[in-house]
Amino acid sequence: MSGHNESILREPLITGRDITYAKITSDILEPVENKPNRAWWIGFIAALCGATLWLVAVSYTFWNGIGSWGLNKTVGWAWDITGFVWWVGIGHAGTLISAVLLLFRQNWRNSINRSAEAMTIFAVICAATYVVSHMGRPWLAYWVLPLPNQFGSLWVNFNSPLVWDMFAISTYFSVSLLFWYTGLLPDIATIRDRAVGLRRKIYTIFSFGWNGNVKTWQRFETVSLILAGISTPLVLSVHTIVSMDFATSVIPGWHTTIFPPYFVAGAIFSGFAMVLTLLLVARKVLGLENYITMFHIESMNKIIILTGSIVGVAYITEFFIAWYSGSEYEAYAFVNRSTGPYWWAYWMMMTCNVISPQLLWFKKIRLSIPATWILSIVVNIGMWFERFVIIVTSLHRDYLPSSWAMFYPTWVDVSVFVGSIGVFFTLFLLFLRVLPSIAIAEVKIILKSSSEQAKLKQIKEGHLDKTYVKEYVESLEKFDSVKQEDYAKI
Amino acid sequence: MESNKKYWKGLEEFNKTSDFVESNKNEFAEPLPIEDVLNEAGLSTVTPRRDFLKALGFGLGAVSLAACQPAPIHKSVPYLIKPEEVIPGVPNYYVSSFKGQSILVKTREGRPIKIEPNPNAGEFNNGTDAIAQASVLDLYDVSKLKTPVLKNDETTWSKVDAFVSSELAKAKASGKKIRIVSSSVYSPSTLAVVADFIAAYPTTKHVQYDAVSYTGIIKANENSFGKAVIPKYNFNRADLIVSFGADFLGTWISGEEFTSQYMTNRNHKSLAKGKMSRHFQFEAGMSMTGTNADTRVPIKLSEQGAALITLYNAITGANLAGGALPNNVIAEKALKLAGKELLQQKGKALVVCGSNDVSTQILVNAINSAIGSYGTTIDLDNPIKRYAGNDAEFAELQNEMNRGEVAAVLFLDANPAYDVANAKAFTDGLSKVPLKISFSDRKDETSTLCDVIATGQNYLESWGDASAYEGSYSIVQPTINPIFDSRQAEQSLLIWSNAPVKEYFQYVRNNWEKNILPSIGKTWNELLQTGVFSAPAKPAGTYTFSLSLAAVAPSVLSAGKALAKDVELQVYESAAMRDGKHANNAFLQELPDPVSKVTWDNYVALAPKFAEEKGIAEFDLVEVKGSNGYSIILPVLIQPGQARGTASIALGYGRTKVGKAGDNVGKNAFPFLSFSNGTLQYATTVTISKTGGTYELAQTQTHHSFEGRDIIREASFTAFKKNPAAGTGKKEEGHKSYDLWDKYEKPGNDWVMAIDLNACTGCGSCIVACNVENNIPVVGRDEVRRRREMHWLRIDRYYSYEEGDKSISEEKEIAHMENLDNVTVVHQPMLCQHCDHAPCETVCPVLATTHSSDGLNMMAYNRCVGTRYCANNCPYKVRRFNWFNYWNDSRFDNYLNNEFTQLVLNPDVTARSRGVMEKCSMCIQRIQAGKLQAKIEKRPLKDGDIKMACQQACSANAIIFGDANDPESEVSKALRSERIYYVLEEVNTKPGIGYMTKIRNTDSLTTIA
Repeated sequence: MSGHNESILREPLITGRDITYAKITSDILEPVENKPNRAWWIGFIAALCGATLWLVAVSYTFWNGIGSWGLNKTVGWAWDITGFVWWVGIGHAGTLISAVLLLFRQNWRNSINRSAEAMTIFAVICAATYVVSHMGRPWLAYWVLPLPNQFGSLWVNFNSPLVWDMFAISTYFSVSLLFWYTGLLPDIATIRDRAVGLRRKIYTIFSFGWNGNVKTWQRFETVSLILAGISTPLVLSVHTIVSMDFATSVIPGWHTTIFPPYFVAGAIFSGFAMVLTLLLVARKVLGLENYITMFHIESMNKIIILTGSIVGVAYITEFFIAWYSGSEYEAYAFVNRSTGPYWWAYWMMMTCNVISPQLLWFKKIRLSIPATWILSIVVNIGMWFERFVIIVTSLHRDYLPSSWAMFYPTWVDVSVFVGSIGVFFTLFLLFLRVLPSIAIAEVKIILKSSSEQAKLKQIKEGHLDKTYVKEYVESLEKFDSVKQEDYAKI
Repeated sequence: MESNKKYWKGLEEFNKTSDFVESNKNEFAEPLPIEDVLNEAGLSTVTPRRDFLKALGFGLGAVSLAACQPAPIHKSVPYLIKPEEVIPGVPNYYVSSFKGQSILVKTREGRPIKIEPNPNAGEFNNGTDAIAQASVLDLYDVSKLKTPVLKNDETTWSKVDAFVSSELAKAKASGKKIRIVSSSVYSPSTLAVVADFIAAYPTTKHVQYDAVSYTGIIKANENSFGKAVIPKYNFNRADLIVSFGADFLGTWISGEEFTSQYMTNRNHKSLAKGKMSRHFQFEAGMSMTGTNADTRVPIKLSEQGAALITLYNAITGANLAGGALPNNVIAEKALKLAGKELLQQKGKALVVCGSNDVSTQILVNAINSAIGSYGTTIDLDNPIKRYAGNDAEFAELQNEMNRGEVAAVLFLDANPAYDVANAKAFTDGLSKVPLKISFSDRKDETSTLCDVIATGQNYLESWGDASAYEGSYSIVQPTINPIFDSRQAEQSLLIWSNAPVKEYFQYVRNNWEKNILPSIGKTWNELLQTGVFSAPAKPAGTYTFSLSLAAVAPSVLSAGKALAKDVELQVYESAAMRDGKHANNAFLQELPDPVSKVTWDNYVALAPKFAEEKGIAEFDLVEVKGSNGYSIILPVLIQPGQARGTASIALGYGRTKVGKAGDNVGKNAFPFLSFSNGTLQYATTVTISKTGGTYELAQTQTHHSFEGRDIIREASFTAFKKNPAAGTGKKEEGHKSYDLWDKYEKPGNDWVMAIDLNACTGCGSCIVACNVENNIPVVGRDEVRRRREMHWLRIDRYYSYEEGDKSISEEKEIAHMENLDNVTVVHQPMLCQHCDHAPCETVCPVLATTHSSDGLNMMAYNRCVGTRYCANNCPYKVRRFNWFNYWNDSRFDNYLNNEFTQLVLNPDVTARSRGVMEKCSMCIQRIQAGKLQAKIEKRPLKDGDIKMACQQACSANAIIFGDANDPESEVSKALRSERIYYVLEEVNTKPGIGYMTKIRNTDSLTTIA
């Protein structure tokens, strides 16, 4: 805990006038320690219906075969790998927030990292279900692992991007889980200390004997830093490898060197959009406006403009290179994307990913919660279409026109995807009920330095430059959780 | 040296103590406590320390055994007394013949599983057609009857014989007529049996009719030359062929043989000698033959007569009236050009016509006579005997039945309740016949109306013979015991006519030994080994047409005029379904049409611009109403090359009682036939009106142009003569290529293929051969619609259009073209290219697809987990995924979903389960078998020892397979051809299959114009 004051020019990360450590604890643990409200129940039942749909659709697929999806001899992947890449991409924001922003000492991450990391884990789970369920013989999925075996000792193909993918995803999942859980330990201990009865016993087990002494805290900080160091390259590597599933192939539209950076940018883009989709609702429903402030929202919107623009540049570059390469197949693949039978998917992608995020240049839109929320969903629709465009429109018309075909999804394709969203939200809503959605300990760290009340204290002490104070007060205008009248006389 | 050293277990043994001697008698030195364990003490028994491991081992073993699920029980009956000639795992081959074509039947452990061409069968029988290839599946058809049927009840043969004999005796006594109705019989022994039957029942007459009739040709030859025959055609001797609607490479008379003849002047060997024949095709519908023509001109059916007269006038300089095509300038010009060239090629030219009209065929005879075809390209002295049907006799039979003069009718290989023009009138007449007997093997449209079904047999269970040409004979011998309680028709006829020899085998043998073998100087055993014999061919005589055409020409013109209203409809045989007799064969139903690539349905083919004029789009359902009032509703297929104002519908569909696979597939077009001038006419006029609905046809290819891509490379014959590498894109000095890949040695063989695009007609017999050889599942119409057909080998067919001197093959440009009549077609067989740098191999996560040291790209089905990445990454899209368990899923009930039909499976090839990728294996089982054979014979493999199933089936020899490491092998020579190019070689996949450029000996239509 820093003893010195943070510059008044920085916007507060925690708002509210009477925030104490105790209040932080009880505010954040409110949903964990009380019966769920109606909003939660409605959401949960809807999500559970989705998860059931997923179960039905996946069981149907396992029982009957992959033929129950709309794939064909030409288009061997469609909604399955689209869904897979989409979910993996969404997961990326969590890691970026928890690891990269930690290393860069971006304290504003402290309010959102917990939920973002949870989102990562649940998104990777959803992605992993696709890895297994898209296989023709899912019961043999473990064959892609280099396990010692009795089949004359068959090994995996280390040339195959799918094997790299398997390593990337499993590493990503384990590191993310570890990082998330390590961060949770002090908070679980907090719940433990406040709970009674069976709950106490359960949380005792899961708090791994956290006792909060200095040595524990010191080790906690070290482990967090190490894990952040391990996670940071993963932010880049995982989606790079996912992109290699396509980039290392020979299919026009896939065989592209720009894919790794373009996929990583796209992943962060979609991940932040998903964080916004989730937290804008959670903030309201769980009453966490003081901790997840307009500052957080605006910061994330800025990242969305940046990554969205990177993605846009990538799209245009792809087109330029397709023309510049002089390869007729490559050129056709891109012309076909924008004007062929799937033109609507391409323009959906362009609109949602490149054009609509540009609205966030307007401060008004960036600070409007409804607009942000809608745009965050639009971005994820666009990102789904991006993967659909890459996968389906490249495959459906590749080299030999005799094999050109269309892909039409079946109800099973749709149900598996819609269902996976249900699975995700079921997990996320359960998470909100049993674990703190904001990192309590980490928020407490910045209370004394970066909160509204700390800054107000500084102002009242009166050693500050008036122009700075004025600027600070003006910056508070955007906060919906700040009582503006308090600053009227300052 | 034997060691005499002896080691002792211990001093006890050395000293031979009495204790040791005693205990050494036992297997175990210490007594086993089995008794203790098994006595009532049970668990309380003290287990000695030293038994701990035993107990542990037993316990583990027992537990794991108990945990094992009962393995599925597969009954297999071993040979108690092994037949001498059968070695399990080693196939036996028997000669036989199918529709007059001599074949080899491959059997495994007593099951016929594959048809192959008989190498003894002569020069032009080096392949088999798709129907012959598919015929093994007919043997294992579950829809067949298992016993004879009497009055709709299953019964026994003795009851059938008693009933039939007494009824026939009654018929004989009544003096009324008995009629044997059959499709053409060209088996000498069957004809002898029929003759014996007629001797026993003198009121009997044998009425032959063919669903697709050649009576017109027979009658015309009778009229012109006094010979009522179909002549032997020598396409190999024709340097110029002009065909009027005759699909002679496909369905016309003897397609596979004609293909083989035709290609001798067009394939790579001929081109290497700088020779290529020229082929004009004038036709309404786009036939497979039309797709192979150098110059194809769409003409309406009504213009055919005028076209023939135009050609006749151009050749002879005569001035028959009506020799002009005012509405088809291009056709007229092309005809004049053809006439000029025919005169130049006198004696080396041939004109054929697909019409069944006598007058038309007389006109064709006159033309052929004028260009000196008789004695060279047409041989009237060694005629074809496969079609002897007489349309008029059959028409007379209907009258006789209606008049109640017929007491009994026997249907031998005939199904008139389905395949005649007016089936209703026929069945009405039939109901007046007291005794109706069918020899069908199933309850089909006709046999259900019969009193008796004397359940017949498949040719693979029967004895028999055939004489496809006069003086040429082949044997049919059974390759399996009769599967059901069936009896071949000849046997039944012998029994009913109370012949002295009732055993048909003996009868055939006697017949051969008495009538045929002496004339050719061979023995019966020799016959059973070689399968086919020909008497020396008679010299082909020269015939001159000397009759007047005064009556013929007006008749031809008036027939044309009668057609020239509404929409002119051509009913034709499709390559796979033909006359519909094999409609229950799932392999044939799923064989894509060579031109339209449609499976599992027939359709109304309309020209693109004509459909546009009528406001009809592809897959629109239309009602086609004939002049006789018959109407059907069928989907429309837009067929480039179809003459405007005409429509084409395939025969052979719309069967209602044939079996699980074939029932109610498509609509029956036979009722559109009409009977006029003594023959059946296959052209008629119809009206076409939209019904409002749509129906998606199941096509295996839905994009029809190659978008100007380098995958198809072609050149004109003129350009080829200047530079044999024309069109291949080869440069003088080869460009440098760079490679990131390791190069692997191929120390033994390097299996590769060369495919001659000029020889491939697109017929598809290779596809069926591949299906049968490799147990490729049939998936059915819905799955084909979802683009999931499983064929390892497909034939891509691309249309391009001529405009000016340009060839247009890009979809966007085609869309703006005014005239789509000038269509050219190319067929490209596409299968796994066995790339040396296979993109599929690098991406498989589990190494399920790998490369062999002899150049093959291999699939380990057992290892495949089904990620489908390999299929995505295949630039040729030749990998096929098992979306379902096709052989054991009730939704795919038209193929293997029963144990009986599963007998057709080739035991050398795994039946793939669901979730597994598959693709062309280059018949690896054949490669292994060939290697083994060579090893057993202690010799190196010879070129030609191993043949691919597709290669073997190809009548055109378009597929050449062999070892690239052997510079003298046929394939190595072929791959050194200047014409070779590799599809997508720029992707650097290093394919193992080279393609030879398509050469067209053509003037494009626009240059004619």
